[in-house]
Amino acid sequence: MHVAPMADRAVAPRMARGLLLAGACLVMASPFLWMGLTSLMGQLEVFSGGSILPQAPRWSNYPEALTAQPFGRYFLNSLVFATAVAAGQVATSATAGYAFARLDFPGREGLFLLFLSTMMVPAVVVLIPRFLVIDALDWIDTYQGLISTELVSVWGIFLMRQYFRTVPRELEDAARVDGARHLRIFWSVALPLAKPAVATLALFAFVDAWKNLLWPLLVTRSMEMRVVEVGIAAFHSTYEINWPYQMAAGVTAVLPIALLFLFTQRYFVRGIQLEGIR
Amino acid sequence: MVSGVRQPFLDSLAAVVLAAGLALVLVVAAGRLESARVGAAEAEARMAAALWEQEGGGADAVVGLLGARATITGADAGGAGPGPAAYAYEAGELDPAVWIAVAPPPADGPRDALPVTAIAIALAGLTVVTGWVLARRRGPTRTRYPVSIALLSVGCIALTAVAAGRWTHGELRSLSAATAAQGARAVQIALAAGADPADAARVAQLPWAQDSSLDSPTEQWTMPAAVVAAIAASSERDVETSAGNDAISLDAANAPAPTAREADAGARLIAPHTVEAEGATWHVARTADIHVALLGYERTASPALALAAAGGLAGLLVALGLHLAQLASRPRVLGRTLAAWGLLVPAAALIVAFTLGPLLFSLWISLHEWRLIDPAPLFLGFDNYAALLSDREWWSAIGNTALFTLHVPVAMAIALALAILTRGSRRALRWARLALFLPGITSVAAIAVVWKWLLSDQYGLLSRGLEHAGLGSVPWLTSPDTALASLMIIGIWMVVGYQMVVFQAGLAAIPRDWYDAARVDGAGPWQRFRHITVPGLRHTLFFVLVTSIIGSFQVFGLVYVMTQGGPLGATDVAVYHIYREAWEFLQFGNAAAMSWLLFVVVFAATWLHFRFLDARRAHG
Repeated sequence: MHVAPMADRAVAPRMARGLLLAGACLVMASPFLWMGLTSLMGQLEVFSGGSILPQAPRWSNYPEALTAQPFGRYFLNSLVFATAVAAGQVATSATAGYAFARLDFPGREGLFLLFLSTMMVPAVVVLIPRFLVIDALDWIDTYQGLISTELVSVWGIFLMRQYFRTVPRELEDAARVDGARHLRIFWSVALPLAKPAVATLALFAFVDAWKNLLWPLLVTRSMEMRVVEVGIAAFHSTYEINWPYQMAAGVTAVLPIALLFLFTQRYFVRGIQLEGIR
Repeated sequence: MVSGVRQPFLDSLAAVVLAAGLALVLVVAAGRLESARVGAAEAEARMAAALWEQEGGGADAVVGLLGARATITGADAGGAGPGPAAYAYEAGELDPAVWIAVAPPPADGPRDALPVTAIAIALAGLTVVTGWVLARRRGPTRTRYPVSIALLSVGCIALTAVAAGRWTHGELRSLSAATAAQGARAVQIALAAGADPADAARVAQLPWAQDSSLDSPTEQWTMPAAVVAAIAASSERDVETSAGNDAISLDAANAPAPTAREADAGARLIAPHTVEAEGATWHVARTADIHVALLGYERTASPALALAAAGGLAGLLVALGLHLAQLASRPRVLGRTLAAWGLLVPAAALIVAFTLGPLLFSLWISLHEWRLIDPAPLFLGFDNYAALLSDREWWSAIGNTALFTLHVPVAMAIALALAILTRGSRRALRWARLALFLPGITSVAAIAVVWKWLLSDQYGLLSRGLEHAGLGSVPWLTSPDTALASLMIIGIWMVVGYQMVVFQAGLAAIPRDWYDAARVDGAGPWQRFRHITVPGLRHTLFFVLVTSIIGSFQVFGLVYVMTQGGPLGATDVAVYHIYREAWEFLQFGNAAAMSWLLFVVVFAATWLHFRFLDARRAHG
C-alpha cells in the first residue's frame, strides 16, 4: 500500500483514525461475534435477557445442530457444486479469454461485445427458462442440473482476456518460431503465465457458487442434494426459535469462507480492483 | 483468379447449407409433433394392454387393440384409419379405471396443408438468397458478402421456424382438442355401456377436458344416437337413448346426472367390446388412470422451444460455414480462426444454451399462459404485460425494490470514508479487511439468520442495547414501517467492504502530487477531498453506483430467509415476487413477463453505464 499523503501528520489525528477504524471494524464484525456467542448459549439462556456472554460455553450445540439435519451432506454438496463451477469457469474463461486476447480472427470484436452484453442479463430473467430446460432434461435434483448452468462466466472471460493481454507477446512468438500451434502455445506458454488470474477467477467462482441460494433452491428437492445455503434456510424454518442451534450452523457455514478469504485475500482484492478500473 | 473460381462453389455451398438448415427446422417441427402423437398413443396402448390383460381379454384382444393403435402412429393418420383414442373416467370400487373408446377421428381438414406451406416458405427463402447471391456477384465489392448472406439466411430460417412452430402448435392444439372431444364421447359410451353416470361424468373435472381454450364445437361432444343404440343392442341392454343421454353436457359435472342404468351398475361390461355404427368400429375397453395415458400430451409443452433452438443452431451453422468458406483462401487466417473457434466453443455453447437461448425463451414464455400442469400453453400475446400494468402487488414490489436501492448511496458514503481511513495502515489492514469484507462474500442465508436474531424484537442484541440505553425497542422486522429499512441496513453492511476495495483502487490511481500541490496552495483536508479526491474518483464512484444498484435490484436471499416478503408485503421485492409467482403460484407466464420488465430496467441502467464508459474513453 502507498504511504498516505497525510502520513506526516501529528499523532493525535492518526490515533483518532485508528480508533475510528477499530470502531468500524467492531460494528461490522459484531453480527459475527454475536453469532459466535449465541452459538454457545443454552436454548433458554438466550431468552433470559442476561449477559450477552454465554454462562458456560455449550460446545455440544455444534454436534447437536449439525446432526439435526445432514449438514455433512450439505457441505459435501456445496463443495462439489462450488468446485465444479470454479473448475468449469476457469476452463471456459481461460480458453475464451485467450482467443479474445491473442487470436486475431474476423468478427472478434463483435463476438466479444456480444459476450459482454450478456452481462446485462439479470439472473432472474433466465431463471424460469433454465429451470424448464433442466426440468425437461430430467436433471432436477442432480449435480449436473445444479452445475451445468453455472459453468461459464462472462466476467471471468473478461478477466482472463485482460490478463492475457498483459502477457508479453515475445514469449509466445518464441514458441511460435519453434513451430508450436496455437493451442499448444495457449496450453504450455500462456496459461502457466496466467496463474494469478486463474487463482482470482477460481476463488470468485467458488465463493459465488457457495453463496448461491436461489438456483440450488429451485433445482434441488431432496435433502441429499441440498447445499449449505439451502440447508441453512431450511434449518431456519424448522428450528425457528432455537437460536443457538441456528447460530452454530451459521458459524460452520461462515467459517470455511472466512478462512478461505483470510489466506487468499490478495486475489480477491485484485479481482475487485481489476473489475473497478476497466 | 482464385477467388473467381471459388465464387460459384461458394454460392452452391451457401445454398446447400441453407437448405440443410431449413430442412432441419422442418424435420424438428414434424418430429416434435410426431413424437407427441406417438408418445400419447404408446402410453395409452401400454395402459390398455396392461389392463386388458388384467381383465382377461387375452393376448388376442391386446393385439387387436394395439393394431388399432398402431395406425395412428403412422404417417397416414389423417386418412381412413381409426383416429386417436378417447377416454372417460370411471372410478371403480377398487382402483381407478378408465373407459377407453376407440372411435373414428373427427373429420378434420387435411393435415398436410401446413408442411406444404412451410416448404413454400423454404423455397421462397432459397429463391431470395439465390437471387441475392447472383446480384452480389456483379457488385464491385465482396467484403460484406458472407455477413449479409448469413444474416439473410438466419432471418429466413427464423421465419420458417416461426411458421413451423405455429403450425406444430396448432396441430398439437387440434390433437388435444380431438382427444378432449373423444373423451367426451367415451363418457357417453361408458354411460351407454352401463357405467355409473356420476363416475363417468367426472371426466369433466379433468383439466384437459375443461380447458376452455380447446374450442370444441358442441356437436363433437355428442355421440351419434346410432352408436349408442348399437352399443346398447350389442350389450343386450336397453339404453335410454333419450336426449339427456345423447347430448350429455360435460362441462357441468354438478348438473343432474344422466339417468342411465343406475340399476345395472353392478353388471359391468367386459372388455373388449366392439360395435359397428355409422360405418366405423367403436371399441370399448377399460384401462387405468387417465393422466398416465395423457403423458404424451403433457410432454408437448413447447414445440417452440425445440424449434427456436433448431432455428438458431441452423442459422449459426450457415453463418459459420459461409464464413469459413470465405476464409479458405487465406490459410493463416483460417488456422487462427479455427483455433479461436475451438477455444471459444465451450463458452459460446454454454452462453447460448443457458443465457441467450433462455433469454428468448423467457420472452416466449411471457407471451403465454404457462403453467406446468397444462398440456399446451395458451398463447396470449401481450396480455400478461397488460395485466401487469394494473397489478398493484407487482408495482408495490417494484416500489420496494426501488426503495431498497436507496441504501446504495449511503453505503457508498460509508465505504468512501472507510477507504480513506484505511489508507496507509499495513499490518492491521489484513484483519480489518476480513472484518469489513466478510459480510459481502459469505453465506447469505447464514447472514440473514444472524440478522434476524440480531433484530429480534425482544431478545435481539439491538433491541437489548436500545433498552439498556433507555430507548424503547424498535419492531425491526415485524412492522411494515421498519422492515424494509432494516433490510437496507443489512444491505449497507453487506456491500460496504466490496465498495471500499474498489474505492481504494480508485484512490491509488490519483497522483499524490496533486495533494502535495494542493497543500502547498493551502488547501485544507475538506478542500482537498472536495476538489481532488471526488473528481479523481468520479468514474469509480459511477461504476460502484451502477453495479451496486444492479446488484440491489436482484436482492433475494435476505428477503427469502428473513421476512418472506412480509410484513404485509412491505419487503416484497421484485425477484422474490417473481420467485413466488413462478414457484408458488406456478404462473410461469406472468413471472416471465415480470422478469422481462425487470430486465428492461436493468438493461437501461447498464446501457447508461456503458455509454458513460464510452464517453469516458472518448475524452481520454
